[in-house]
Amino acid sequence: MAKKQPSIDTKNLTAVQLMELDSCTRCGECVKWCPTYAASGQKPGLAPRDKILRWRQFMNKSYGVKAKLFGPSEIPDAELEEFKDDVHGCTTCGICATVCESGINTVELWESMRTNLVKKGIGPFGKQGMFPKLIGQYRNPYLLDQKARLDWVPEDVKIADKANIVYFTGCTAGYKQLALAFATSRVLNKLGIEFTMLGEDEWCCGSALIRTGQVHVDEVARTLAKHNVEAIKAKGATKVLYACAGCFRASKVDWPRLLGEELPFEVIHITEFLQDLIKKDKIKWETSIDKTVTYHDPCHLGRHVGVYDAPRFVLEHIPGVKFVEMDRVKEFQRCCGAGGGVKAGIPDLALGVAESRVKDALDTNADILSSACPFCKRNLSDGRDSLKADIEVEDVIVLVAQALGLSVEEPKSE
Amino acid sequence: MAYFSGLSDALRITFVQMMIVSFIAMVIFVYGMIINLQKWGAGVTGYALEPEAGSKGSAIRFLKTWWKQVTEESHHGHGKPILETLVLDILFQRRILLRSPVRWFMHFTIFAGWMTLFAMSGMMFAVEMTERFIELPFTAAQFREVLQLPNDIFGYILLIGVVIALVRRLFVSEVREASIMYDWVLIGVVFIVTVSGFVADGIRTGDIVWNIGMSGETAMAYAPPAALFHSVISLLFCIAFIPYSKYIHIIATPLAILANKGGE
Ligand code: HEM
Ligand code: SF4
Ligand code: SF4
Ligand code: SF4
Repeated sequence: MAKKQPSIDTKNLTAVQLMELDSCTRCGECVKWCPTYAASGQKPGLAPRDKILRWRQFMNKSYGVKAKLFGPSEIPDAELEEFKDDVHGCTTCGICATVCESGINTVELWESMRTNLVKKGIGPFGKQGMFPKLIGQYRNPYLLDQKARLDWVPEDVKIADKANIVYFTGCTAGYKQLALAFATSRVLNKLGIEFTMLGEDEWCCGSALIRTGQVHVDEVARTLAKHNVEAIKAKGATKVLYACAGCFRASKVDWPRLLGEELPFEVIHITEFLQDLIKKDKIKWETSIDKTVTYHDPCHLGRHVGVYDAPRFVLEHIPGVKFVEMDRVKEFQRCCGAGGGVKAGIPDLALGVAESRVKDALDTNADILSSACPFCKRNLSDGRDSLKADIEVEDVIVLVAQALGLSVEEPKSE
Repeated sequence: MAYFSGLSDALRITFVQMMIVSFIAMVIFVYGMIINLQKWGAGVTGYALEPEAGSKGSAIRFLKTWWKQVTEESHHGHGKPILETLVLDILFQRRILLRSPVRWFMHFTIFAGWMTLFAMSGMMFAVEMTERFIELPFTAAQFREVLQLPNDIFGYILLIGVVIALVRRLFVSEVREASIMYDWVLIGVVFIVTVSGFVADGIRTGDIVWNIGMSGETAMAYAPPAALFHSVISLLFCIAFIPYSKYIHIIATPLAILANKGGE
């Protein structure tokens, strides 16, 4: 008699992660804080506690005592499919890990589960399955020409050929949210910071693949990381600046892991860089922004890597800015809803979460809801529009540019 | 109460029974733990890897992977030193306190009461055992007298926590609705073991509340079986049952907290 095979395997799930499933005490804290669970009208399957419970049951059915004694019991495909949908209804915001009484690293658990299922042929979610092929081919998720990487660069912006500092634009700022790229490059120019860019050799950071359980597919993510690291090395840089939380997190945490070695350069978020300059009194502000500003911590900048103070420090030093905090900030921030593939995969859910976050900001009566990530900006703007709320959504670096008297528009062509 | 009590010369058969039950409990525990360790050990040894071809889950692989994670540096930059994690997050259970002082009080009383009674039961058992083979400067009965007060104190500490937990699960609708068998069984079993301990002790010492109305000859007759009952379910439920129930958190939760350097 052929022995029955377990319905799930343990690919990508570390031994420690499998133990974490048994360490959940079902205290329910994660459920209280999960932004997608709340925005979905409390869809039971989205609750982090429930995802852990189900995978624990999968494991016990496949490798537990009963399975040992009488053979594994089958898990219907429909159940795995449903689980796949639920585990992708997560922005990887990480608040469930912050509040977990058992200290479980939930985000990595979700990502491992996603990958595990993708390897089985279940998932990823919807059209996300196209990412590896397209990003692998185009080197960016917008399917645009790599040669157009620097097309946005206006004449007034000076980019060195080689420099100690690289500005890693990111696909979103470089192709879609040009204001962010204008602001960052002009601010650096104005402050006399010599920097270079990778141009055609800047490939996607791979975040979209890693977060959606496709880190392994055709080795695309590793290829991207390797290429970028080599390109940065070739520029002779020791510091790399980021104005995108997604790229920043991918570079800081995921690249070294994918490559199995420490990076030969420092990964710095632009707000950290500016904080340092302000401390050294190297910034001469030109205009004052007389507005009340609140700040939304991007998950991938805050909780994932712990940058909370730099953006606040910068905002508080912009003349005229009255800085106010929302209710849920720093490690307890409420996600904007865009991350983890949710914006692309389940836009309604992303919008629902964004609306909740915009409401948090409205409660403070701020004029401007700022953030430090183009995805946050985009999704929060969508949330604002759908609420028809009267609040400006802007990136911290754009506010800095304005206070330095810089334009963040494309120069008018004569 | 919860300690190994009720063994007297008149109860030699009980002693043999107890030894057998203890042995069975240990065997069931060890078997379950091995299966759990193998289940965990079916996982991979590091980030984004595949299981080694053809190899089944192994306890050693789990322990190695766990140790590697405990000792390596984290890229996230919020790891805490092992000693701090051990004392504050595991013994003091800071992560529960940060979320809810009430639940922390509930759990900490269960934890402290339980662990202390467990340790004292262990000591009592050791004394009763050694007494049979070598002469001690005190008798088991004297030792029990010494332990009586701390036993009562920690018994009540445990009871307070268990009652809070039970009341919370039964009467807070949000918690009740989210509870599944896995939760009920743990708190139910802890409740039964705790109460049976109080009753066994009450009958023996004639406590006015916990003797459940027994006195004189009835009490004399029922004290040994009550103690036996308590001892047996303690051993079976609290040792043998660990790997098969939510009790596993007693082992897995501290290991997870350590592996994640105190958590995010
Ligand atoms: C260092 C080890 C331990 C840690 C870190 C730990 C952690 C936890 C956590 C986080 C919870 C969830 C509490 C909540 O709902 O907020 C819990 C529940 C519980 N723990 Fe522990 N625990 C430990 C040891 C123990 C021990 C030794 C016992 C003894 C029996 C125990 C008994 C319980 C019980 C009965 C519950 C359920 C309470 C309920 O049903 O509401 N724990 N534990
Ligand atoms: S990471 Fe965020 S969205 Fe995902 S399950 Fe946890 S709390 Fe919910
Ligand atoms: S917070 Fe952690 S321990 Fe509590 S239910 Fe969620 S995953 Fe389980
Ligand atoms: S887009 Fe912003 S808030 Fe949302 S997941 Fe990313 S970093 Fe979090």
